[in-house]
Amino acid sequence: MNFDFALILSSIPQLLEGLSLTFQLWILSGILGLILAIMLMLMRISGRWYLAAPAMVYIYIFRGTPILVQLFIIYYGLPQVEFIRESIAWEILREPFGCGILALTLNTGAYVSEILRGGVQGVPKGLGEAAAALGLSKVQRFIYITTPLAVRLSLPAYSNDVISLMKSTALVSTITLLDMMGIARVIVSETYAPYEIFISLMIIYLLITWVTQKIFALLERRMSRHIIQ
Amino acid sequence: MKKIMTFASAIFALSLVGTVQTASAETLRVGMECTYAPFNYRTPEGELAGYDVDVAKGVAKIIGADLEFVCQKWAGILPALLANKFDLVVASMSITESRLKKMDFSSPYRISVGRLVGTKDAKLNLFDAANVPIAASFDGLKVGIEKGSTYASWFKAKLPGADIKYYESNEALYLDLTNGRTDVIMTNPMKAYLKFLSKEGGSKFGFVSPQIDEKAFFGIGVGIGLRKGNDDLKIRLNAALETLTSDGSLEKYALKYFPFAIH
Repeated sequence: MNFDFALILSSIPQLLEGLSLTFQLWILSGILGLILAIMLMLMRISGRWYLAAPAMVYIYIFRGTPILVQLFIIYYGLPQVEFIRESIAWEILREPFGCGILALTLNTGAYVSEILRGGVQGVPKGLGEAAAALGLSKVQRFIYITTPLAVRLSLPAYSNDVISLMKSTALVSTITLLDMMGIARVIVSETYAPYEIFISLMIIYLLITWVTQKIFALLERRMSRHIIQ
Repeated sequence: MKKIMTFASAIFALSLVGTVQTASAETLRVGMECTYAPFNYRTPEGELAGYDVDVAKGVAKIIGADLEFVCQKWAGILPALLANKFDLVVASMSITESRLKKMDFSSPYRISVGRLVGTKDAKLNLFDAANVPIAASFDGLKVGIEKGSTYASWFKAKLPGADIKYYESNEALYLDLTNGRTDVIMTNPMKAYLKFLSKEGGSKFGFVSPQIDEKAFFGIGVGIGLRKGNDDLKIRLNAALETLTSDGSLEKYALKYFPFAIH
């Protein structure tokens, strides 16, 4: 096998043309997914069955199936239904970008809501009771006592999910989007040099992961700054 | 010992070629897959049929040779030709640089083309009267293309304004054209006809371009393969193919399977 190091270097700039799309997908679906996750988590811990049950079913479905399947159902499956093509939702679903965002958001929302629930339920009960004794209302207790601690508890697991969301964005290359993975596959199909191109791609993804990990590590340290080590 | 055997078989092969050529009724053995509809396949009655088969029969009739068909799996078709299991390959084999290093080809009897498929009544106005693409009409036009196909390089070179979407498979191309995510797709017209246009979901769609056959992009086409060093046979094959082209036989063969000519 001929291994072409020059090709690795020369393909990186080409791949970076897809970086902006990768970031758009990652950040947009990350934010939307987080909002969805908070709602799902609140439904889940509400103690009301008619809120908790739908959330549980939703989380079960989206955690229990491959994201690629979800993406294909949204991209190829939904347009088969006539009324979806005629509805306003088609404006989003017509575009592969909209489908990609939707699939990634729905998927990450399910995972993150469970992470947040773990965080919330990890906050010692005694703190809430103490706050209640001081006269804080239920909402106040949740916002001022539970939330800051829950965020800190969830952060390590959440950073994991953020990184895995970044990697999941590569799947949108299967629905014609030219993110970094999509560009890589086009180049491979033209040059027949899978090793070089995919190794370049790996290098880029690893760099992004490394920076993300650093950012979350800083954040974690800052949030735990009052803890005596 | 092995060398002697090779030498002996080479002599034997040579003598075979010699006898074939001097015999009054020449027999040409034709290798093909026999499973590649509609080019070479068996009918339910077990008869060989298809465009390749028709071409082989047409050529043999003009040359005045008897035909003997040999069915051979695709992967072994070039080795079998070189090992003298048959004399000709008429199996929809594209003429490529790498194949020309090992074997010889007649002139093409089927071209490699691309063609645009779109909604029949869209009135896209993509080509002028001389069949030259109108670049302005392609600006921002969503064009579906299979990844790794030669059509993408044609578009990049000729119509860079087009918005190209890359697909994993031909089926995905048809699906997204139907769903309205792309305006047109560029693909092999034979595939498009067999798999899409002639099927239920494809009735609203049709070809919206002439056949585009730029050799620099799409290759020369499909030819009859033969072993190197048979220039006499090659000349006769080319002459026969020319006759079949000019007397309309090739078109007639194609029209049996497609609503358009493919040479």
